[in-house]
Amino acid sequence: MGFFSVLGDIFKILKHTFRQVFKRPFTYFYPFEDRIYPERTRGRHIHVRQNCTACAQCVRSCPVVAIRIDKDDKMYEKDAALYFDYTRCIFCGHCVEACRFNALFHTPVVDLSEGDRRDLIYGPDKITTLEREPFEWRGRRFR
Amino acid sequence: MSPNILDEAIDVWFGPQHVSAHGWATKLTLVGDYIVKCDPNAGYFHRSAEKVLEYRTFRQGSLVMERMCMLEAFLAEYPYVAAVEKIAELEVPDRAKVMRTIMMELSRLHSIQFWWGQFNAELGFFTMALWPWVDREYSLDAFEELTGSRHTVSFSTPGGTRFDFNEKVLKQINRAVKRFEDRLPKFRDMQMGSPTFRARTKGIGQYTAKQGLKWGLSGPPIKACGIPMDLRKDAPDSNLAYNLCDWEVPITENPDHPGESDALDRMEQRFKEAETSVEIIKQLLPQLPEGPIIDAKARAKVNRLPAGEAYGRVEGTRGITSLWLKTQDKAQSAYRAKIRGPCFASYYALKDLVPGAKFADFIVIFGSLDPYPGWWDR
Amino acid sequence: MVGPVNGGVMLQFDFFTWLAGIPDWIYGILQWIINLVLGVFYWAWGIIEWLWAMVFSPANFMFLFRAVLFPGLIFVVLTLIWAVWFTRKLWGRIQDRRGPFHIGKYGGLQLFADAIKLIGKETIIPDNAKRWMFRFLPCLLLVVVLLPFCFIPWDFDFWYISDLSVSLVLVFAFLTAVPVVSLLAGWVSGCKYSLIGGFRAANNQFAAEIPMIVSSAGPAMLAGSLSLMGIAQAQTSVWFAVVLPVNLATFLIAAIASVGVFPFDAPVADSEIIFGWRTEFTGIYFTLTYFAEFAEQMLYSAIIVALFLGGPVGLPFLPGAVNFTIKFIITFFFFVLVSSSFQRLRQDQIVHYCWRYLLPLALLNVIFAMLAIVYLPELAALLPLGGP
Repeated sequence: MGFFSVLGDIFKILKHTFRQVFKRPFTYFYPFEDRIYPERTRGRHIHVRQNCTACAQCVRSCPVVAIRIDKDDKMYEKDAALYFDYTRCIFCGHCVEACRFNALFHTPVVDLSEGDRRDLIYGPDKITTLEREPFEWRGRRFR
Repeated sequence: MSPNILDEAIDVWFGPQHVSAHGWATKLTLVGDYIVKCDPNAGYFHRSAEKVLEYRTFRQGSLVMERMCMLEAFLAEYPYVAAVEKIAELEVPDRAKVMRTIMMELSRLHSIQFWWGQFNAELGFFTMALWPWVDREYSLDAFEELTGSRHTVSFSTPGGTRFDFNEKVLKQINRAVKRFEDRLPKFRDMQMGSPTFRARTKGIGQYTAKQGLKWGLSGPPIKACGIPMDLRKDAPDSNLAYNLCDWEVPITENPDHPGESDALDRMEQRFKEAETSVEIIKQLLPQLPEGPIIDAKARAKVNRLPAGEAYGRVEGTRGITSLWLKTQDKAQSAYRAKIRGPCFASYYALKDLVPGAKFADFIVIFGSLDPYPGWWDR
Repeated sequence: MVGPVNGGVMLQFDFFTWLAGIPDWIYGILQWIINLVLGVFYWAWGIIEWLWAMVFSPANFMFLFRAVLFPGLIFVVLTLIWAVWFTRKLWGRIQDRRGPFHIGKYGGLQLFADAIKLIGKETIIPDNAKRWMFRFLPCLLLVVVLLPFCFIPWDFDFWYISDLSVSLVLVFAFLTAVPVVSLLAGWVSGCKYSLIGGFRAANNQFAAEIPMIVSSAGPAMLAGSLSLMGIAQAQTSVWFAVVLPVNLATFLIAAIASVGVFPFDAPVADSEIIFGWRTEFTGIYFTLTYFAEFAEQMLYSAIIVALFLGGPVGLPFLPGAVNFTIKFIITFFFFVLVSSSFQRLRQDQIVHYCWRYLLPLALLNVIFAMLAIVYLPELAALLPLGGP
């Protein structure tokens, strides 16, 4: 009768749910454990000033005008300083594709949240290095 | 009781601030528990994509399109790319065609898993909402391994694709497919075998195929009525590889009401679509040819396009998604782009479909038509 | 000399006699004042003595200890907080994720953090709402749900607060008031969604109370008494879940429907009517309604343990209260498990299924049990039938 098949269905569902209780959950115990980011992950950029030639193709190819270039700020012979505005960046990767001189790359660093909007505009000092301030939380250091 | 039953009707705004309204506002007129009139009001999610496309170059336009519906990102960005390729007369290499097809089917699988979880969450079943979302993570891992981003993939570009498959990507795709297949029996038990689910969706939101076509529905809501209307077979795109594999259009025929579909059929239909996608992926993966991934002259040609009009379309998860592009001579961006989103039709179909249903069925009917505000408000 | 003399009245009086009487008069007044003061003093002392006896005389003190600490108010509130934590962690595990784990070890302090945050939030009372009822009803709800915990027999000889001879009926009287309060709360919120939610809550009661009461009539009949203590005591030889398994299931399902948790949570369907009758409550009122829902779930679990699973009867080497608590935890686990396994039913479907399936099943099992007792004397020997 339909009634007993419904009862069978109910018990099957309860069995599935019951067995799930004792399995290890899928979620990561962030921030103590985190997943492995693939190498192509489009995180924040890094600007290698030795290779930069100030051609400004990255500025031209950005769909949201998130990059600003300052050609007078030179550290090597022909480079320039780049200012990345991460409040506008959509992480599309067109700037990295446009750079022919291997001066701009994506990094797998994706936890970029800051407390102040102005900290999200990465100047040449921040964009050329991967180091950043350590993050202290509950007596443990992250990053 | 007054002789005119509408005297006792109350108006309830299933409004823009609602847990499962996803950003639409529908004014429902209720008499008791029954919905008498349904007045959809779109527009709360409008992002003026068509105007924005006039200010983006031809390589950047697909970024705007994929953000219309990030759940099926590969499918969403394709119409624009197809239209540009037609106007610029680009030749897409075979490897790019097969890669695009594989990723589009994986994206369809991902979108169906997302919808599945969301539909269950709307029905109050959070367990079965989160289990498909776990499987979705495997597809997202594949997307990230390939393109570097989980949702905003920007994979297709006029002339081919931007990224290439490698060993790791193939491994992740296989993992995603395998995970879906392994979990499918359990999910079928929990979903189709659940008596409350059947009670909730049987006979709800039933319409014939003819009515569906009149409302402009396409994709799974029509295929669930038993009509094999699928763009991948009816008008196969030459820049995709659907003809390289052997597959059938998934349809659902219900012997109780042939030619009609209710919410339960649409659920079954999406199971079948997911299984078909998996089959296509499994057939195409060994057939991946070697070669370049983008047309060599693409960068030069796509900078400025000649004048022309083209129509790019794709069978999205929710229906036919298409884009009509008009360019002027030597322009760097589109003159006019018109986007047709499938959910616009399904949302306004509610006007005729919902009256007569109970209040609690509104969310079931709407969810089963797979709404996504990005497509109707663009 | 003063007074009548020879037909006339003598108006003279003796001054010195009067003068001699003044100290007595003053003394009399003083005595009156002192008596007054002493009287007040003794009356106040009597009250203090009464209060002292009320709290600190041994019998009263133990009663207060039981009523306030264990298994009374503090214990129930702490168990409530534990129950919410347990539910959230268990939902997490069923849904393939962890529950709260940041605040406190294993997320234990999460509830306290949530409660503090919610109490600190602004309470917004809509213009259309009836203000005093809006403020009063959530408190009433929590109180009505917490009161029946008095009658749960955590242990037979000492750890119970009170034992009336009709405590089962009284508990159901309290529990029947809860959906009425929900209906009122939906009405006074002044919002269409709350109104619909309130109607649905009343509908839930209409659907689920009858199967629940019939299911509980089974154990009451078998034990021959209407008090929870009596029913628990009658299970010393065999638990009623063995004789009435279907009743256990129907009581569990009817209890889930009566509370308004997941498969039957149409009154609080958060994808259809935002949050049903609880929509407009914010801040402290939301905390009260939230905790009231979990307190009701706990109450039903405790009643199930007392009615069907033997109450304090169990492993002989453990004290009865610990037995009860273990069974309570297991029953609560199944409560949460069943409620996470099904889609939400539509309101008319709830009524339909409860009346068509739950009620006949409950009745059938009771009738079965009655027949089994008449025709199987060994079974009847195990149960204290025909008792006081």
